[in-house]
Amino acid sequence: MRIAVSDASFTPPRVQGRNTRKGLTTLSMMPPLEFIIKMGIYALMTVCVAGALLSVLFRNLFHAALALTGVLLGIAGIYLALHADFLAMIQVLIYVGAVMTLVIFAIMLTERFGDASLRQFNHQSWAALGGGILLLTFLVRMIQTTPWPVKNQAALASPAVTVVQLGEALLGPYVFPFEIISVILIAALIGAIVVARKDLEA
Amino acid sequence: MEFMDQIFVNLKSTVLTLAGGFLPPWAVILLCAAISLGVIAVIGPVTMMYLTLIERKVLARMQNRIGPNRTGPWGLLQPLADGIKMLTKEDIVPKNADRIVHLVAPILIVIPALLVFAVIPFGKNMIPADLSVGVLYFLSISSTTTIAIFSASWASRNKYSLLGGMRAVAQMISYEIPMVLSVVPILLVTQSLSTGAIVRAQGAYGGWGWFVFTPWGFAAFITFFLCAVAECNRSPFDLPEAESEIVAGFHTEYSGMKFALFYMAEFMNAFTLSALAATLFLGGWQGPWLPSWAWFFIKTYALIFIMLWFRGTLPRFRVDQMMNLAWKFLLPLSLINILVAGFWHFANPPLAIGGSIAMLWASGWIFTRLNRDYTPEKRTYLFGE
Amino acid sequence: MFFGSGVIKGMLVTLKAFAASYFRGPDKGGIFTVQYPEQRLAEKENFRNFPFLVYDKTPDNLRCVACDICAKECPPKCITIVREFDKDNKPLKRPAVFSIDHTVCMNCGICEEACPFDAIFMDHNFEIASTDRQGDLLLQKEALLKSNDYFNKIRPTDASAIDAKRAEAEAKKKAAEQAAAAKAAAAAAAPKLAAAAADKPAVPTEPPKTV
Repeated sequence: MRIAVSDASFTPPRVQGRNTRKGLTTLSMMPPLEFIIKMGIYALMTVCVAGALLSVLFRNLFHAALALTGVLLGIAGIYLALHADFLAMIQVLIYVGAVMTLVIFAIMLTERFGDASLRQFNHQSWAALGGGILLLTFLVRMIQTTPWPVKNQAALASPAVTVVQLGEALLGPYVFPFEIISVILIAALIGAIVVARKDLEA
Repeated sequence: MEFMDQIFVNLKSTVLTLAGGFLPPWAVILLCAAISLGVIAVIGPVTMMYLTLIERKVLARMQNRIGPNRTGPWGLLQPLADGIKMLTKEDIVPKNADRIVHLVAPILIVIPALLVFAVIPFGKNMIPADLSVGVLYFLSISSTTTIAIFSASWASRNKYSLLGGMRAVAQMISYEIPMVLSVVPILLVTQSLSTGAIVRAQGAYGGWGWFVFTPWGFAAFITFFLCAVAECNRSPFDLPEAESEIVAGFHTEYSGMKFALFYMAEFMNAFTLSALAATLFLGGWQGPWLPSWAWFFIKTYALIFIMLWFRGTLPRFRVDQMMNLAWKFLLPLSLINILVAGFWHFANPPLAIGGSIAMLWASGWIFTRLNRDYTPEKRTYLFGE
Repeated sequence: MFFGSGVIKGMLVTLKAFAASYFRGPDKGGIFTVQYPEQRLAEKENFRNFPFLVYDKTPDNLRCVACDICAKECPPKCITIVREFDKDNKPLKRPAVFSIDHTVCMNCGICEEACPFDAIFMDHNFEIASTDRQGDLLLQKEALLKSNDYFNKIRPTDASAIDAKRAEAEAKKKAAEQAAAAKAAAAAAAPKLAAAAADKPAVPTEPPKTV
């Protein structure tokens, strides 16, 4: 991974605003603060990787789900560090608040959900391993070939994306995918109701 | 007036200026954050401690009793006594419990309760962190409470705890949806997610431009407040911790300081949700005559009083009633309310006022009628007979 | 009525109680709690709690004659009486030991009703909490003795009635004694009859009424 930590790219907005108002210095002139922020980001990455490993290695399904929650929170933290506030909050709201809760609900409704003697492998293990390796190579390749605009001062200087801009983008250029997603969700809802409904004739 | 209004802000900047004399800039920035964090870390637990006292006093007065008055004048030292009792109590962990999760769950439940203090505007220029996504931050952080509650209930290995956890998750997921949707009209009108900007947008008419005075704001306030009561598991929505049904639900197996942490999270949630309701609908710190922070605390504590008032009056909901209220009444009402807010925004004033009131009244009437028809006269019990 | 009016009605009830607790008196819907150790309600005269022994004027002069009736009547058998004997091993009309076990006593008041000598009465002292079961709750004669003035203070109606009755009996006894003395002086021929007449009124005819 080539995530460069340089200049003000990882400064929380409040610190930046403070600096400019007081006319103090940029973050690069304050090594201790930069060090703290760097360490924070490394800690978040550690949480993500450790959580991801644990969620696979835990035999207890509930523990695995909790580890996965840690991963999702860590990713939200990384989004926050990358100035994607809105994305980070949506990550927490959707993934931790809704998806993980439903996952836990689903786990609870399965049989023997707290059983430590569950098998972790089934006959699809080898296929899954192949698929995982394929995905990993694809991701590594993608990261390597993407021109990361770290040194692009114009991109850094541009103001943070506001909610208004996001809303206009969703209902402007991206209205078609937005509506498609809505239709898919509605279809899923109706499907769930149809599946869950009691058969009236029977 | 101006002096009183900004007294805490000036205090903090004085401290920072003094510290700036001998500290490097990065340390001043850290100190600035540390002061805010320290104030929150003190305000949160102290608020919780005295909310317990206020709750006991108010409930007692509603029931023709006096309430705690033995420890200190008016019982003001009662929270300290309770705290000492909680700290010295034996910490019991059930034999088959999942020890680690059992230990971590009460900590996990307090963290979001403390984190959400960051975006609450306590007064003019008195917001710990004015995030551009403040409201979303609040809602998303408080939504993680569900997992902590569920961990607690699961780790206890107690069927009552598990039932309480199931109820808590079902209730919190259900009420989160109308809660978020009831905030949407505010966001539409102010075009911002920042709590500071939302409060500033309510400063019209000399500090009386509160959103609760508009039809859509009123409907959203009612929806939001009911959902807030349900979100922090307070009566009449206290099914997850119903003492008489499931032995206090998810914290059945907790004792001592771990139990106190659950209690703390519940009261801090009650405070922060009241504070957010005051911020979004009651104009936050906006108001004439008094200092801004005084207005904020008056409004927040008024809402907390209403929560206690509910608790002193209303019996607990049945599970199906609770679900019906969320899905068949509050959710459609909050959806209609978004439409009404748009209508208000684009129509002429007389038409906007009359039209939105008519729309809300009609939809409220229709929803109550529909729900009444769906309420069974007599329940049939499958296994009861 | 519109939908939800019941909720509002109920909320108003509690709000009224909340406001009344601050602004109304105890008889108008306000708080009627009594802060016990500091404030006390006036004791009802007929309130009865653990029994005590009455003495007249000095503690030596107690009314109890150790007849053992109360100990026999007592349903839980909490009273122990041992008669006092003099040097010649002759029984005296007073108890050497009189103890009441408060852990056993059930406050029925039968001892008071059974006593033919107006010697034992129910007390008003209810604050007897103690950490020493044998020492403080098994009351001996010295602890049980209380003066007739105290009895007059806590239960004036009963006490004055009993005092009047006793005074009357005393007067009768004296009159009879005088009459007997006069008779004895006048008619020394029949001393046995006079002695019998003098003895008769000294015995109270009925137990004192308590209620």
